[in-house]
Amino acid sequence: MRLDGRTGPADDEERAIPTAPTRVPGPVRVEVSGLTKSFGAVRAVTELGFTVEPGAVTGFLGPNGAGKTTTLRMMLGLVRPDQGAATFDGVPYAALPHPVRTVGAVLETAFHPARSARNHLRVYCHAAGLPPARAEQVLAQVGLGDAAGRRAGAYSLGMRQRLALATALLGDPAVLVLDEPANGLDPEGIQWLRGFLRHLAHEEGRTVLVSSHLLSEVEQTVDRVVIVGAGRLVREGSMAQLRSGAEGSVLVRSPEPARLAEVLRGAGIAVTAAEDGALTVLGRSSAEIGSRAFAAGIELHELRPHASGLEEIYFRLTSGREQFAAAAPAAPVEGAR
Amino acid sequence: MTGLVRAEWAKLFTTRVWIGLLLGVTALSVLSAVITTAFAGDPTVGVPPVGTPLYEQLALGSPSQAVVLMLVLGIIGTTQEYRHRTATPTFLTTPRRGRVIAAKLLAYALAAVPFAVAVTVVTDAVVAGYAGARGAVPELTGDNLRVVVTTALALVVYTVIGVGVGALVRNQVGAIVGGLVYVFVVEGLVRTFLGAVYTWLPGGALEALTVTFQGPDLLERWQGGLLLLGYGLGAALLGTLFAVRRDVS
Repeated sequence: MRLDGRTGPADDEERAIPTAPTRVPGPVRVEVSGLTKSFGAVRAVTELGFTVEPGAVTGFLGPNGAGKTTTLRMMLGLVRPDQGAATFDGVPYAALPHPVRTVGAVLETAFHPARSARNHLRVYCHAAGLPPARAEQVLAQVGLGDAAGRRAGAYSLGMRQRLALATALLGDPAVLVLDEPANGLDPEGIQWLRGFLRHLAHEEGRTVLVSSHLLSEVEQTVDRVVIVGAGRLVREGSMAQLRSGAEGSVLVRSPEPARLAEVLRGAGIAVTAAEDGALTVLGRSSAEIGSRAFAAGIELHELRPHASGLEEIYFRLTSGREQFAAAAPAAPVEGAR
Repeated sequence: MTGLVRAEWAKLFTTRVWIGLLLGVTALSVLSAVITTAFAGDPTVGVPPVGTPLYEQLALGSPSQAVVLMLVLGIIGTTQEYRHRTATPTFLTTPRRGRVIAAKLLAYALAAVPFAVAVTVVTDAVVAGYAGARGAVPELTGDNLRVVVTTALALVVYTVIGVGVGALVRNQVGAIVGGLVYVFVVEGLVRTFLGAVYTWLPGGALEALTVTFQGPDLLERWQGGLLLLGYGLGAALLGTLFAVRRDVS
């Protein structure tokens, strides 16, 4: 598997694949505004707006049923929004002169089971006016070169994910949209996908939007996040901004837990005691807790900042549908646009 | 549009559905020709004897017994996109969905021509051999030739109707079962009990187009041909409208 997009000796078709930043299609910014969609009485997406910047991997996060897939399908003209629009450098998907050369999308991992991967890709080469040799190139790019002649019906879920990615890459698009691409990939495949997407965004300047219901799955891949809950925008901004919002906690152990808790509470600090005598202190630094214990002459055996704040923030942001359904649409994080 | 038509051909010929259906259409047509010839001149069955114009047109018109399988070919052509969920990449590649349906209509109409020629050649060869053995080889001139050409044309038009029906119904099993029930049950009943209505149905139009010894209820040949073509284009137009409006999820 190669991550650099190069597949072999140079020939005419080779030029279609970016091998250096100069070959990369111009950066395309994606703007989504006011997207709203109901299915019958169920409101799936409500006035959803965000931007996806070129040169970065943007995570589109939210629990199952938050409206991620519906949003992606509306952006790509497959589902008709009740209101709102999505544009690629100002142009709606359906009006793009060469849609697959601008946007590649992985929405579906289903294929005609009797058709080989190579033939599947050739169908779309014909339809998009691309040379049939592109099929071989993208298959090599996603590491399916050896399985090109096999029926897609015999593919594992991980291989189908790769074939779907290959389909998206056919047109060498400036924008890549992926719906839950890690589903079915083994750890090695996830590692590979991570590097691949970061390469496309960081080295080649493409716009990458990747949806997931797990923050932990994309935490190491994405630079920016768009978080949705119950069909509304909950948070938009960089990972750094999301992290800075993490309210840390500190775990403290002492032979005198009761006295320590008393001292800290006396200073107006929130403390919770666990059964084993450990104390959890919210919203204060280890240094402050340490110095207060020292001042009170209390011996400490452990003083450890708790690091899993990000997952907690995500959970807090996306849990409780009612809470977010009732709240006004959250304002984007400062500096997000 | 050339690329889209080629894409549809690639879809059609990279699975084996077309082989099965081509064999099926040929088998059904040949079977019908063999039965017609075997019972020719048998007063209890009512098939005219070999050598009469009526027998020859009946035997040479055998491919019209197999139009339903061409309907199925067209239905599969559109419904496979929904059944195997390839509608998503197809409409992502070509967001103007009307162009996809138009390409399918064109691709299947063109692909149906060699199918129809193959079925016609095999059927006519069997008729020539069998009827020759029973006394007289039908000549491919005049009314006989007209029957051969119009039945072949009917195979093509039914394929187009199938594409339109598939775009309309989307559910493959539903569309095929519905098509079979319609052709074999509904039209049969209407033909028996509501002759005036049958005249205007695809089956009546098909009969008007392909059969020369017309009953009083049928349209003229050219009218039947036009009506059949109208059904094909009507189904395609409706199918396009629906395909464009519906969400693909």
